[in-house]
Amino acid sequence: MTTFLVFAVIVMLYVILVLIGKANETSKLLSGKVFSYEGDSKMNGYLMLGFLVLFFWSIAFQIKYLTPLMIPKSASYHGDETDQLFYVTLFFISIVFVLTHAALFYFTYRYNESKNKEALFYSHNNKLEVIWTVIPAIVLTVLVVMGMRVWFKIFDVDGRDKNMMVVEVTGQQFKWTVRYPGPDGKFGKRIIDKEHVSPTNELGIDWTDPNSHDDFFADKIVLVKDKPVLCKLGALDVLHSFYLPHFRVKMDCVPGLPTQFYFTPKYTTAEMQDYLKTLPWWNNIGKESNEPKWKTFKYELACTELCGRSHYGMQKDVVVVATEKDYLDWMKTQQSHYETVVKPSLEEKKVAEPIAAVVSTK
Amino acid sequence: METIAAHTTVHTEHTTSHDDHDHHHEASWLETYVFCQDHKTIAKQFLITGMFWGVVGGLLSVIFRMQLGWPNETFPILETFFGRWAEGGKISNEFYYSLVTMHGTILVFFVLTGGLSGTFANLLIPYQIGARDMASGFMNMLSYWFFFAASVVMFSSFFIQTGAASGGWTAYPPINGIRDLAVNKGSGLGFDLWILAMALFIVSSLLGGLNYVATVLNLRTKGMTMMRLPLTIWAFMFTAVLGILSFPALLAAVSLLEFDRLLGTSFYLNQIIINGNLLDYKGGSPVLFQHLFWFLGHPEVYIIILPAMGIVSEVLSVHARKPIFGYRAMVVSIMAIVIISFLVWAHHMFVTGLNPNLAAVFVLFTLLIAVPSAIKVFNWIGTIWRGSLRLNPPMLFAIGFVSMFISGGLTGLMLGNSAIDIQLHDTYFVVAHFHIVMGVAAFFGMFAGVYHWFPRMYGRFMNDTLGYIHFYITLIGGYAIFFPMHFMTGLPRRYYAFSNFETFSNFDSLVVFISIAAIIVFLAQILFIVNFFYSIFKGRKVEGEYANPWGGTTLEWTAPVARIHGNWPGEIPSVHRWPYDYSVNGKEYITQDVPLAPGEVEHK
Ligand code: HEM
Ligand SMILES: [Cu+2]
Ligand SMILES: [Cu+2]
Repeated sequence: MTTFLVFAVIVMLYVILVLIGKANETSKLLSGKVFSYEGDSKMNGYLMLGFLVLFFWSIAFQIKYLTPLMIPKSASYHGDETDQLFYVTLFFISIVFVLTHAALFYFTYRYNESKNKEALFYSHNNKLEVIWTVIPAIVLTVLVVMGMRVWFKIFDVDGRDKNMMVVEVTGQQFKWTVRYPGPDGKFGKRIIDKEHVSPTNELGIDWTDPNSHDDFFADKIVLVKDKPVLCKLGALDVLHSFYLPHFRVKMDCVPGLPTQFYFTPKYTTAEMQDYLKTLPWWNNIGKESNEPKWKTFKYELACTELCGRSHYGMQKDVVVVATEKDYLDWMKTQQSHYETVVKPSLEEKKVAEPIAAVVSTK
Repeated sequence: METIAAHTTVHTEHTTSHDDHDHHHEASWLETYVFCQDHKTIAKQFLITGMFWGVVGGLLSVIFRMQLGWPNETFPILETFFGRWAEGGKISNEFYYSLVTMHGTILVFFVLTGGLSGTFANLLIPYQIGARDMASGFMNMLSYWFFFAASVVMFSSFFIQTGAASGGWTAYPPINGIRDLAVNKGSGLGFDLWILAMALFIVSSLLGGLNYVATVLNLRTKGMTMMRLPLTIWAFMFTAVLGILSFPALLAAVSLLEFDRLLGTSFYLNQIIINGNLLDYKGGSPVLFQHLFWFLGHPEVYIIILPAMGIVSEVLSVHARKPIFGYRAMVVSIMAIVIISFLVWAHHMFVTGLNPNLAAVFVLFTLLIAVPSAIKVFNWIGTIWRGSLRLNPPMLFAIGFVSMFISGGLTGLMLGNSAIDIQLHDTYFVVAHFHIVMGVAAFFGMFAGVYHWFPRMYGRFMNDTLGYIHFYITLIGGYAIFFPMHFMTGLPRRYYAFSNFETFSNFDSLVVFISIAAIIVFLAQILFIVNFFYSIFKGRKVEGEYANPWGGTTLEWTAPVARIHGNWPGEIPSVHRWPYDYSVNGKEYITQDVPLAPGEVEHK
């Protein structure tokens, strides 16, 4: 019923508008105008000028009220540089934006036919055109050079710290699997063939590789402040994308094609919370948690490549701890998958079916 | 060529002589309105089909904006219409992804490519170059009917059991590459139909494009040298060139994809593991598809925007009563854009596992393409400077276009710098960028064109008051929808809901605001359609047999208001000057067919 009413009102609105439009047109023509829009240029000149003011004001408004809601400052070192690049670019384009918009709408107002009866035949000006070709070209060159320096630093394989930690993250519908190499710092080999890949071993880990024995799966990603980390990324079924918004990290996870991202966290979770506490907006009370926003702040991992119906649900927590020791303490609480799951099941099998077990472990 | 010209002349005389009699041997209804080979009718067919798609595509966005804005509300009407896809009045996540996928596909291809190029290239190329019709009227007709068939197939995919395609308008495998309903429902029959529809669409686009290029190159009237072509024609011709060179890549890409899906080949698939079962695909690469897709995909965005640019250049100049500023620079910019747009495709792929060294090349060319784009903007502003602007609906939309193109184009400079794009890729920032620069801007160009050439198409005017309402709501609303999205940088796009993430939960009230704005803007577009159809029947008539209602200089205004087969009753006018003689030699305008006055020097 309400739906029907809403439709009825909308249809009425259209009818009324059409009638107004028609009446306007007729009255203009009766007053002897050749074009039905004649005389409107003046009104539209003012409206366009008004729009310019409204537009600029609304941008100021948005800057004031929306920037505090944005994803906060970068929590990684390379992220500082990409953010800086963002702001440098923003600076240049803001100038262009303001000048061109001011000119566009001001000219619209200033030279509308009611204010300027006679147009000027002015078809080109080579000097001017050269200037506004060369200046953007120079600015763009500067931006490319700056951008490339940052980009190559991020992907500089040779410059990596030998002491970095390594985490393997694999995406699948609709979850992330996080594997740590365990105390030995080495991952067990993965072999992607029908023999190794199975519903209980989707990653195809070769359990005969001793390196695999202390590997563990974690329910969150734990990183250490100031310790570089290499994320080895992959996907099983379809594309996913590994996205750590606070760290300015994003890399697709592609079935059959390993990818990686190397970065260094800069602030622990607690430090970030302390920082946010100083910002008024983050002291607002969250709707569900009933806590100040900064208190429930956490780093998160999200998926940014459409991977199916629950794409929007591929969340995992990320924690940055202060010291190596904190990290080792956490690691002690984690259990080796081999020891807790694989070995017991192998032993069970060995008892039940000795021959099959021999074959499957070679 | 001569034979064609001679033939058409004879043909026209034939029809005009008929008009003098009492319409006995008139073409049948079917020939006049359905299987018509006349460029003017085909233009209308494209326009009206495009409008149909525009409403459908817009409606889809209204539905998914309702989900985003009010994720906890229910809308019983949705269940009435969509049944189990919206159980309890709330659309399902699967349906959401179908909606966004189809919204993107429909608007990019069916409205802003088929609808926009199809309408204006068809209407204006013969009229403005002084030709009786397209080089091949038959091919032109086929082009429309392939478009129509593509439309039917695409539309039918909404009604099948497993739903329409839902893996994104970019159709990336593997999600679209495996025909497994457990992986993705929309990757079943829905996606087969998507591919079939796209194949038909591509055929349509190639038939049309070849025809446009052939016509512009061969059928120009006497005196119409290339440098006397209006910018609209340059734009349509290069748009067609872009399409001819890039659409085949998409056709190849989706054909191979269908092979993977149906025949078990592995062009794009490798080591796919589903629920612990390793599938048999081996050695393909999903990234290969992305290369092929964006090899079309990037030129495609210029296929959308170039016609709009051409229209806007023309409309600005006519209603400023002033020549376009820097005609030559405008032509060169179009060429530069066409060439460079083939060298930037991987800027959509910076974080897909592409070799980082390769990225450098693409960053360079991507930022380079901003130079010709900037030149065009400055020249448009130069055009209205010291003009005598008639601020009527077509002009307002043309000015709005320039504003949108600036706002959206500038953020391209951030996205184009790979290091910044790491954070921005696949977030709302990209959504803001391309909806402003392509979506809204191209619509503005299209509206400018429709309001401007409506008298040419129907011999009547559209209503101005309704046009103003349409314009201001769309201008303010367009920015209201997409400008705030810049601040949602970092929020992933294509999310059905943000409630699973603490990080993305800050913008709840903004999302509601955007949804409301989207609904209002949609309603304003319906007003445009009401105005359009109302004006076809009841709009104010253009007075006079050979009226030139806007005082335009180009040849379409030298033809009779009544739209006749062959366009001009007698001889085709020949051309003696460039198309932008406004406010010169003491005259407000001089049409292109007027010979130079004694002592007058041609503008070069
Ligand atoms: C001024 C020059 C421009 C530059 C430097 C530029 C740059 C970019 C870049 C780098 C992206 C990829 C962003 C990402 O996915 O991370 C992008 C996306 C896009 N751009 Fe632009 N752009 C420009 C102008 C345009 C124009 C004129 C159009 C259309 C008419 C356009 C339409 C698009 C579209 C549709 C997408 C997104 C496609 C998708 O992912 O669904 N861009 N642009
Ligand atoms: Cu995903
Ligand atoms: Cu692109």
